[in-house]
Amino acid sequence: MSTERFSTVISGVLGALPLFIPAIPFAFVFGVVVANAGIPKWLGWSSSPIIFGGAIQVTLFTLIAEGASIAAAVSAALVVGARHMLYSITLAPQFQNQPTWFKWVGPYVLIDQVFVLSQLNPIKEPDTFRHYFLAAGFTFWSLWMLFTAIGVLLGPAIPASWGVEFAAPVLFVSLMMAASNRPDKVGAALLAMIITYLLAELPNRAGLLVAVVISVFIMLLMTRRGQR
Amino acid sequence: MILTAIILTGIGSYIMRAFFIFALARYQFPPIMLQALEYVAPTVMAALVVSLLTTPNGELVAGLPEIAGLVGTAIVAKVSGNHILALIAGMATFWLIGWML
Repeated sequence: MSTERFSTVISGVLGALPLFIPAIPFAFVFGVVVANAGIPKWLGWSSSPIIFGGAIQVTLFTLIAEGASIAAAVSAALVVGARHMLYSITLAPQFQNQPTWFKWVGPYVLIDQVFVLSQLNPIKEPDTFRHYFLAAGFTFWSLWMLFTAIGVLLGPAIPASWGVEFAAPVLFVSLMMAASNRPDKVGAALLAMIITYLLAELPNRAGLLVAVVISVFIMLLMTRRGQR
Repeated sequence: MILTAIILTGIGSYIMRAFFIFALARYQFPPIMLQALEYVAPTVMAALVVSLLTTPNGELVAGLPEIAGLVGTAIVAKVSGNHILALIAGMATFWLIGWML
């Protein structure tokens, strides 16, 4: 491995590690959800490699535990994960100059944190982008496999009263600040917060996707108008 | 049955992530589209924060410790640009104010 490639991989791994910390309590929440759904531990854990998306996995098993039909549980889980389509659109330009195998493998590890990492330091050079993306993506992947296994085995190891789940919104605020490096992006983020709140009653967090689309559209209208 | 549900969800979520990467593989993105894409990261993160703090009934479940924790996070994130520091500041503020109340 060339030293340049090695340092790109290292920066991908190091970029991913701190962002994984809030996923640790979430892996224990996942373990509790699997236990409550009354399904075998190995079967619950198998969703980690098959689905690889924390919120999607938790939604699926929560609904199965509540006695929802398979069709209802699957479709609700997919609505929760619908924001990944936006990541797919956003990364499409950077995937255009990539080898076909990477177009197949990359989406498998395309989760919230990997997406934001790829947007925070936009890499123009295709090889560097690919090495960084895979290093960050598979760092998350390995850790998620490990910690969901621990979560499924140990179950409620962290007392709920500690409130460690609060690490998730904390992380997303930190990522939001890093991603809002221009006044118009700050405006877009504020709009998205208000609209998500107004649409919070939509089923399966569908309001999230709608709020993002509306706020992006409003920002485009406002900035285009400002240029005229 | 459960394994079927897991596999279907896995296929569905993979398609959602891969679809546009293949569908737009030869698409020439016009400038307005590229500008729109720049807003995706900040708006999705913002929407996720609010989503995590509201119940499915649309009620905000953030008290003083949560609000203070998130404001602390935002300030430290802006000043330091370091996610670990922001995480420590946010959780410390949240726990400290929760403990005092």
